[in-house]
Amino acid sequence: MTAVARLEGVGFVYPDGTRALAGVALELREGERVGIVGQNGSGKSTLVRQLNGLLRPTEGRVTLFGRDTAGVHVAELARTVGLAFQNPDRQIFAASVRSEVAFGARNLGRRGAELDRAVQAALEAVGLEGEAATNPYDLGYSRRKLLALASILAMETPVVVLDEPTTGQDARGVERIQRIVGSLGETGRTVITISHDMRFVAESFQRVIVMRAGRVILDGPPVTVFAAEHAGALASTFLEAPLAARLGERLGLGTTPSESALLDALAAR
Amino acid sequence: MRGWSGPLGMLAIVLAIALAARLGRAMRPYLLATLPLVISILLVNTFLYPGATDRILTLGPVSATWTGLAEALQATARVVAFALSVALLALTTAIDDLLDDLEHRGLGRRTIFVIGSAIRTVPRMIERAGEIVDAQRARGLDTEGSVWRRARGVVPLAGPMVLSALSEVEERTMALEARAFSAPGRRTTLRPLPDRPAERALRWGLFLAAVVLVGLSVSGRFPLP
Ligand SMILES: Nc1ncnc2c1ncn2[C@@H]1O[C@H](COP(=O)(O)OP(=O)(O)OP(=O)(O)O)[C@@H](O)[C@H]1O
Ligand SMILES: [Mg+2]
Repeated sequence: MTAVARLEGVGFVYPDGTRALAGVALELREGERVGIVGQNGSGKSTLVRQLNGLLRPTEGRVTLFGRDTAGVHVAELARTVGLAFQNPDRQIFAASVRSEVAFGARNLGRRGAELDRAVQAALEAVGLEGEAATNPYDLGYSRRKLLALASILAMETPVVVLDEPTTGQDARGVERIQRIVGSLGETGRTVITISHDMRFVAESFQRVIVMRAGRVILDGPPVTVFAAEHAGALASTFLEAPLAARLGERLGLGTTPSESALLDALAAR
Repeated sequence: MRGWSGPLGMLAIVLAIALAARLGRAMRPYLLATLPLVISILLVNTFLYPGATDRILTLGPVSATWTGLAEALQATARVVAFALSVALLALTTAIDDLLDDLEHRGLGRRTIFVIGSAIRTVPRMIERAGEIVDAQRARGLDTEGSVWRRARGVVPLAGPMVLSALSEVEERTMALEARAFSAPGRRTTLRPLPDRPAERALRWGLFLAAVVLVGLSVSGRFPLP
């Protein structure tokens, strides 16, 4: 698989002197679904902002499809990396759901039928197709969050980054986001998601990156990262493997990070 | 001309305190904020001072004068002294302590809330504005291109700013009510403010000095610089 994004020795220090990243080396591949976890302040949001140029590495470099991002405008990088922020209210301004979703795609130059199709597909993905004419602020918080997600999906970028998409979502909302992540991966797009929800991460992602104090301390598939041998490392950044993994461990079934893995292991026994 | 001693004396005091408190760097943004005002003061006074004839140079219809320049520099010194004393207050005073103390001294709770939220809103607004700019840039809004292209970003940037400020009002009201903001009766504070006798004496001393200074100058014995 080709490398979509590559971070080489990336360090980042905020202007006030806070070091948020140190020596981060990562390669993100096409169609890969990556979950990023770590305690508050471990540098997750800072890391993903390096990908679309909102923040520029103070050490090392970031390349997208082999091209160095240094000196490339954020508006240009937005063609490659779509980033959905945690708080939808920091972006919603349009008078209707449809025009809010169209904003990003329009900025990237899509017009006419192409734009309509992208907007419609994004609305359907988040289940807001019936609300196209609604004022965004008439939707509740969780649906505004889905709206913000749709506005990124409509940009149809090869890389999609979601900063804590599941906060405030009920079980159905989480399921919907899981489906979206799955289908993005199937169409060959790279999905990077920051989350504090270990169950969501273990169920939906092929690769889990664990951060602590600005460094990547674990990087691998859920079955490795959530294995008992790494419980100490996880605890050091105030994380705990998902319930299914801990249950499997205590039942002596090996590492069963997802519920289906746990069920399979139980059935096999 | 009103003289140099006032603004320069003030500047010297403020700078000495700032250096002693190691706040030199932190005061820079405040200094930068006065820049537009300072530039316009310099230009307007130097070139348009009424009645001044001692020319330095002539540029088309207007000429710079020495009188104007001196007046401009004095006004600048005054503005900078003022800005830096505000900066000093902002950087050395814990707002919560100040407000608690004002309440103890009998200032109305509502007045204090208004003062407090005005002071505290500014950094939060700056932070929020930064997040909004980031969110729209991430959706391809061009904030680095030509002025014309950037002008198209006004609505996407101002919209969320206003809307979130409005929606915050309601949340704030409820949060305040939930914490008995409008409960009648005098409140007490759990957290006593340290107020050493030396500090108290200094405060009174400064207050008296100010009164004496104003009195002397009003009576004409010591014209205020
Ligand atoms: N604008 C800023 N200026 C200075 N320091 C900052 C800024 N933003 C974040 N930091 C600091 O950088 C570090 C990493 O922050 P970051 O927001 O990337 O963490 P995070 O992993 O996303 O945390 P969370 O889970 O709370 O979202 C923290 O120590 C934080 O305090
Ligand atoms: Mg974050």
